[in-house]
Amino acid sequence: MAPEASAAINQVDSLGANGGSELAVREGAMEGVLVACGELGFRETSVRAILEHSGGHRAQFYQHFESKEDCFAQAYAVWIERLCVSVLEAAATTPGWEAGVREATARLFQFVAARPAIARALFVEVQIAGEPALARHEAAVERLAAAIDSARAEIDDAEAPPEATGIFVVGGIESCVCEALSAGDPGRLWDALPELMHFAAGSYFGKEEAEGAFERTSILLERERTRLTGAEE
Amino acid sequence: MTELRLIAGAALAEPAEVAEASPLRLPPGRHGIPADLVRAHQRVRLLEAAAAALAEQGYGRLTAARVTELAGVSSRTFYQHFEDLWACLLAAYETEAGRLCQEIEGACAALVQERGPIAEADRRGRAHTGISAALGFLAAEPDVARLLSAEPPPQIAALSAARRDLVERLGAMLRGVLVDPDGATPLPGLERRLIGAALALVSTRAASGDPQRLRQLEPELGELLLASL
Repeated sequence: MAPEASAAINQVDSLGANGGSELAVREGAMEGVLVACGELGFRETSVRAILEHSGGHRAQFYQHFESKEDCFAQAYAVWIERLCVSVLEAAATTPGWEAGVREATARLFQFVAARPAIARALFVEVQIAGEPALARHEAAVERLAAAIDSARAEIDDAEAPPEATGIFVVGGIESCVCEALSAGDPGRLWDALPELMHFAAGSYFGKEEAEGAFERTSILLERERTRLTGAEE
Repeated sequence: MTELRLIAGAALAEPAEVAEASPLRLPPGRHGIPADLVRAHQRVRLLEAAAAALAEQGYGRLTAARVTELAGVSSRTFYQHFEDLWACLLAAYETEAGRLCQEIEGACAALVQERGPIAEADRRGRAHTGISAALGFLAAEPDVARLLSAEPPPQIAALSAARRDLVERLGAMLRGVLVDPDGATPLPGLERRLIGAALALVSTRAASGDPQRLRQLEPELGELLLASL
């Protein structure tokens, strides 16, 4: 596993609770439903398929959840919150808007690369599952959009971008993630990082800043790839 | 749906008892309407019902039974038209995607015809005309807006491919206005990212259940899509 991928697993998993056996059963089923839905699709996933991933018995499952739909909704709430906190933390601990957005997007990509099935459940299958998970998804998008919208602090009121810019940028990044996941090739996301930074910076600051963000991200990505290649050798 | 209204209109030109029937459903029994027209009408109703059922149930709970119920046809009729639920939804998606693109192209062509070379050179003006036409179309038919903007199940490969085709087509239209004939070309693939973001925004607004919110998006969406001009 790539170092970036294992770092992402640690970031997200360390936020999870692990306690007694009942809690472990519940956590296992919640991870199992997301993995199963990510691999098989929401419609095709059965309680049996969830248990094949998580272990345990049907009786245990139904002590915690009413149905597959209920399990998905509860699992979704927990995992999207973990991911959201992790991504926001990456942005908040990096100085500067552009670098913060880049770090946050990289953290998201690390998670997608490390847990593609769960990522597929969080970003693609939620559209199939519908409510109440979809409402959690919308809430997460709004939180991330509000964080990205901090760019406004650097823009004069007269040149302020449209109100929907934050949602638009998050939607663009998410559509890129969905494309890669649907194609079964999350690794290609890294190639799209400079383009996404161009898109994000351009939406707030215009063409020149967009081109600058693209250049800087391309250089950083190249440097990181060289470093990782060197470390492997 | 325009096509449905046209066919319903043709049916209404038939005998007097047909004129009193619902414009969305042909009267049962003997009505003297040619079989091919009945069949075409059933198909249009099924396509419209597929979009309505999707808006109501979402991909997770969507069933062929609900589509036939909303279309007012029997299950047998459904399977005479389509192999399964996904074939019906794919036909609805492709039909509506085609209509959306025609709406945009038609509005832009009308602008150029009306204003001549000035409109041809006014890339921003053409873009706003196209965006306005698209949002007007989607706001008038909220079920279609949800059908076209929501991410389909990736397991239904043909439906995912149809969505990719729509993104490509809309992206090509957008690229047509982003490319400056006298300047640098925009970043390759940027238009796909912009269209993806626009569809996500449309999906959120369409899900709100208030079609007016889609129409109101026009100035903002125009500014966002053209930020790199």
